[in-house]
Amino acid sequence: MLELQFADSTYDKCLKCNACVASCPVSNASLEFGGPKHLGPELKRLMDNQQLIDDKRIELCTLCGNCDMSCPENVHVSTLTAYLKAIHAEQSGTKFRDLVLSNAEMVGKLASAFAPVTNLAMGMKPVRKVMEIVMGIPAERQFPKYRFNNFNRVYNRKYAYTKRKAAYFVGCYATYNAPEVAESFIKVMEHNGIEVVKPNQKCCGVPMFANGQMKQGMKNANDNINSFIEYTRQGYDIVVTCTSCTLALKKEYLAYVKTEEAKELAGHVYDADEYLLMLMENGEMNMNLAPMNVKAGYYSPCHLKAQGIGNPAMDILELIPGYEITDLGAGCCGQCGTFGFKTEKYDVSMKIGKPMAEAVEELNADYTVTECGMCKNQLDQLTEKAVKHPMQIVAESYERAKVLV
Amino acid sequence: MYDVIVIGQGLSGLLSAIWAKEHGYSTAVVSTGTGKIIQSTGVMDLIPGTAGGLNEWVELYQMSHLQLGQLTGAIEQFKALTKKIGYPYKGEIEKLSSIVTGSGHVKKTALYPETISPLPEKGHIVIVGFEEVVDFQPAYIKGNLQKARPQLTIDVLKIKLGNRSQRTMTQLDAARLLDQKEIRNSWHQQIKRLIVEKNIRERDMFIFPASLGVEDWKETKDQFSFELNAKITEAPGMPPNTTAIRLYECLKKEAVKLGVRFYADTTVTGCIIDGEDIKSLTIQTANRLSNLNGKQFILATGGILGGGLEVTPEGLKETALRLETDEKGVMLHCLSNLYQVGASRGIQVTQNGITGGIFTLLSIHEMIDQLHQQMVIGGTRSA
Repeated sequence: MLELQFADSTYDKCLKCNACVASCPVSNASLEFGGPKHLGPELKRLMDNQQLIDDKRIELCTLCGNCDMSCPENVHVSTLTAYLKAIHAEQSGTKFRDLVLSNAEMVGKLASAFAPVTNLAMGMKPVRKVMEIVMGIPAERQFPKYRFNNFNRVYNRKYAYTKRKAAYFVGCYATYNAPEVAESFIKVMEHNGIEVVKPNQKCCGVPMFANGQMKQGMKNANDNINSFIEYTRQGYDIVVTCTSCTLALKKEYLAYVKTEEAKELAGHVYDADEYLLMLMENGEMNMNLAPMNVKAGYYSPCHLKAQGIGNPAMDILELIPGYEITDLGAGCCGQCGTFGFKTEKYDVSMKIGKPMAEAVEELNADYTVTECGMCKNQLDQLTEKAVKHPMQIVAESYERAKVLV
Repeated sequence: MYDVIVIGQGLSGLLSAIWAKEHGYSTAVVSTGTGKIIQSTGVMDLIPGTAGGLNEWVELYQMSHLQLGQLTGAIEQFKALTKKIGYPYKGEIEKLSSIVTGSGHVKKTALYPETISPLPEKGHIVIVGFEEVVDFQPAYIKGNLQKARPQLTIDVLKIKLGNRSQRTMTQLDAARLLDQKEIRNSWHQQIKRLIVEKNIRERDMFIFPASLGVEDWKETKDQFSFELNAKITEAPGMPPNTTAIRLYECLKKEAVKLGVRFYADTTVTGCIIDGEDIKSLTIQTANRLSNLNGKQFILATGGILGGGLEVTPEGLKETALRLETDEKGVMLHCLSNLYQVGASRGIQVTQNGITGGIFTLLSIHEMIDQLHQQMVIGGTRSA
């Protein structure tokens, strides 16, 4: 039996005001979902000191965290729904598909090892039809491409000797699907005189939490905490380019693992743009950015909003002369990590993503900027515009400035 | 370093942020969660809970002539903004409108969105409820409304939304359904059928829950009005009221698009003061306690109801900046770069715990002027 230790401190403040339901992307798209209020604080109240309730409706929760952001009483609803997912998985079992999807790292390793074949196969209609029937992964859903030359093959630095040192939490997406994001980040740091190390690391656990695999997620969390704390204790800052990984290190490890180490570590974690902004405010940032004549649209991932750090990507990109960037002002993308890869959730995923796609079309910028690889996946599927990570743009501006000198 | 930092994202916080940003100031909003706007009815009252007019309002809030002179400007500014963001408000401050609520109570209000129509003195009213939405009970509303307006002839209808839900359905859920054209069609057909069945011959106005669509409210209202050949109104009641959700979502989107930076899930736990100035806010996020620097600070945390003030055995406490207040919640020390808007000004301005939208609008309008002057004098206005 799963040892359930809820973060008891806050849910009691719930006034049932419905702010979370009104802000929940899934509740707003589907009446099938029980909703954050009902499956969060209300169900917890019902279960307290009584028997556990296994509620199937929790499957539609994406752990996007909009409920946490909306709660005026500071109840962290998503912690409660994450535990409900764990209860559901424990009592009703987990689909083979969900086990596979939750293990993004294993999938990444395998898919990357056979990358040309994997990518080819994922683009073949008969293969996808079989996957839909056997696995419940919709044939129409686009998948991110996998890279044979993944970031683990090209970067393995373990020590840094500069004054400021960054310990990079790469994340599965930048490792296996988008090493160009990781490489851009290393370049940006180089331009700021900061050496980057890549400590031993595992998947942050977010896909596991989202699929009710709490035990495995906690194991990964503890491994990551143990590995990275060695670095922060030597003065390294932890910098992350994926917003979901960042949120895991900043918030979810604290909520689930609840150790002093988790807390100590969380204080050292920065989103990559947040880190640059911090350098700028300390007068340490390299401001030699070459002009770029671009009109971009910014799409803010839910897990970036949830960090409570403003909008550092736009703050940084606006430093580039001539670079014009506008917030699309769109809500959740609907991909929501593994959620959008599931047949029975595909329609909801598309419905949630529609306003985002319309906002991209309306703004009609040169391209879209976002930090999250999964949001990018949905943007790639629903819009015509290219999608870039802010680090790719900053790196390009720095590189051009170097050439100009 | 921001030019302006707003604490709170209710009506007063969002309006402050939008208008500060429109002046060209870099602006941030720090908030623990959504503001009380989400629990409101979305209409702008003069003195909530009373029928008091402008004279009573001036007296209650001890408004000076100077302030009263700014009122028209504040209202115009709000009307222009709501029009720009696609959710226009109407109504007059000199002549309050009677509107019906989700309990059948008739109240006076100053400004209301286009989905609401003022209630006639006499005529034939049809109240339409949804079987699945328990927060809006036509028969109960009829009872109260009949007492308030004996000259009205009132009929009640209940239609089936026909969509099964895995949770208790709210007015907002019904509104999201009405954003779909097929559902709009099926509903007005149901209503037409029931009108014939019940032999309701005359009808001047249909009263609905605050549910006439979130995005496509205009289409819903026009279509229903045309098909049913009568005026249509929403009657806001139990939250979440779509009347308020639309205002919140439109204001938030406008602020984001203008480039206001939002610090969500972030709690202000104090501030660092240097002489007469606030230097920075102490903010708590999930992972750390840090400082957020700004030049001007706007407190838009509301009063007791909004959580900006807390009643403790030791008296009232101001919850965000943790500054000392008197027994009415008014700040004891004046800080030169702190502006209080809406109910955060203290309990002397509240009635039934609610300040009323008009007071909030005026307080922000005044504040923005002062803030602008301060920034110009300080020579700190950003490009």
